[in-house]
Amino acid sequence: MSTSTFSKSDEYGFERPDDFDYVEYEKFMSVYLTVLTKCSMRWSRLLVTNPQLKRNAQLKKIVRKGIPLTLRAQAWTSISGVQKLKDKYGPNLYKRMLNKPINEDIRNIITVDVPRTYPDNIYFHPNSENQKTLFRILCAFAACNPDVGYCQGLNYIAGLLLLVTKNEETCFWLLRVLVENKLPDYYSKTMDGVIVDIEVFSRLVKKKFPEVSQHMNNLEMPWALIATKWFICLFSEVLPIETTLRVWDCLFYEGSKVIFQSWFDVGEIL
Amino acid sequence: MANRAVPQRPNGQTPGKICQFKLVLLGESSVGKSSLVLRFVKGQFHEYQESTIGAAFLTQTIHLNDVAVKFEIWDTAGQERYHSLAPMYYRGAQAAIVVYDITNQDTFERAKNWVKELQRQATPGIVIALAGNKLDLNTMRSVQTDESQTYAYENGLLFMETSAKTSANVTEIFKAIAEKLPKNETTSTAGQGRRLVESEGANKSLSSCCK
Repeated sequence: MSTSTFSKSDEYGFERPDDFDYVEYEKFMSVYLTVLTKCSMRWSRLLVTNPQLKRNAQLKKIVRKGIPLTLRAQAWTSISGVQKLKDKYGPNLYKRMLNKPINEDIRNIITVDVPRTYPDNIYFHPNSENQKTLFRILCAFAACNPDVGYCQGLNYIAGLLLLVTKNEETCFWLLRVLVENKLPDYYSKTMDGVIVDIEVFSRLVKKKFPEVSQHMNNLEMPWALIATKWFICLFSEVLPIETTLRVWDCLFYEGSKVIFQSWFDVGEIL
Repeated sequence: MANRAVPQRPNGQTPGKICQFKLVLLGESSVGKSSLVLRFVKGQFHEYQESTIGAAFLTQTIHLNDVAVKFEIWDTAGQERYHSLAPMYYRGAQAAIVVYDITNQDTFERAKNWVKELQRQATPGIVIALAGNKLDLNTMRSVQTDESQTYAYENGLLFMETSAKTSANVTEIFKAIAEKLPKNETTSTAGQGRRLVESEGANKSLSSCCK
């Protein structure tokens, strides 16, 4: 993770806004680098004692403190149970799915959505290799999960997975494990999971932050207006990228309850 | 049905009127809903506009003679499966723009379905405008102006062909809606904030929100 040169984009390729505060950023990074170093050392020790990253209380605790960027692809794969899925479906599933035809409407909407996935990210410029890869991942996912097919929002998740893992097949499996094992049916044709979780969320807010709930009522704003994206995109494009990835670290280990916990943590800070 | 009530101005005087309306955009994915809003609110256009997840909220005010009309704009996701969330978004809307892409006949059919749904389920008296977007792609047109015009006339809709890219008719369509919306309730002072109450269905008529 580099901090010595401040380019127009961050290490994930997202363009920094014109009013980006480099002084404040440098101040933050001088502290945060220590955190990242400690995190790396913690993981180096962990990989000696638990090289397979078998799930246990200690691992859960360490995951909550963050996974180093260089280890994220490996760690997310291990802690989320991707291996179990691979064992179930066979290692060649991705290649098979790439060749399986999909519904034309779904293909069309993926074709339209890929160029408008992180258009400001330098790794997703028009006709970039990443755009082609993202297209293949989303089509393969639609082929192997016809109940979901493609839901707008999956493009952002798969796109961010690709930026972090830099590996097409890993990205495909992580997308599957999220949608099929870690989250309720957010992306299904009726999106029941989202509707239910937004309702649960609004009741929790009413209980925990009654004044916030009242304010939203006064404005006549349903939570669905702003919260849908939190659930569907798992905070990507909502929270700062580092924060989003820390949430995802926990999400791959603990599942969708993390979305609620994260929001309430942010709520406490605010 | 949610109707809006605003506190009475203490001294009973009427300042320069500010009317506030909730407007929702509906239509098939990638017809240009967000682009129309971006053009209207910020005067910008992005060739690759990010797909809207759930909904987005923006405001813009336009002036008609002595009245400032403030639109609360609810921009929605277009993919069919987000349909189940739509009633949450159009509930209480006093105006809607149903958008289709003039180069894609399917999106026009989808627009008709939205119009039907709004006429059946949205606020009675809601002002609906039909926007045939992507007029800049006129040479690739597949929905004829006459066809849309006739449909709009038969269904009591405002109708314009627009281009978020060139900005053709973008402000005009919002202005046409503003002109059609009732602006006759003057009750509150700008800046006081408004109070919103749930009526028990006693008043089903379209309420404008003037301050």
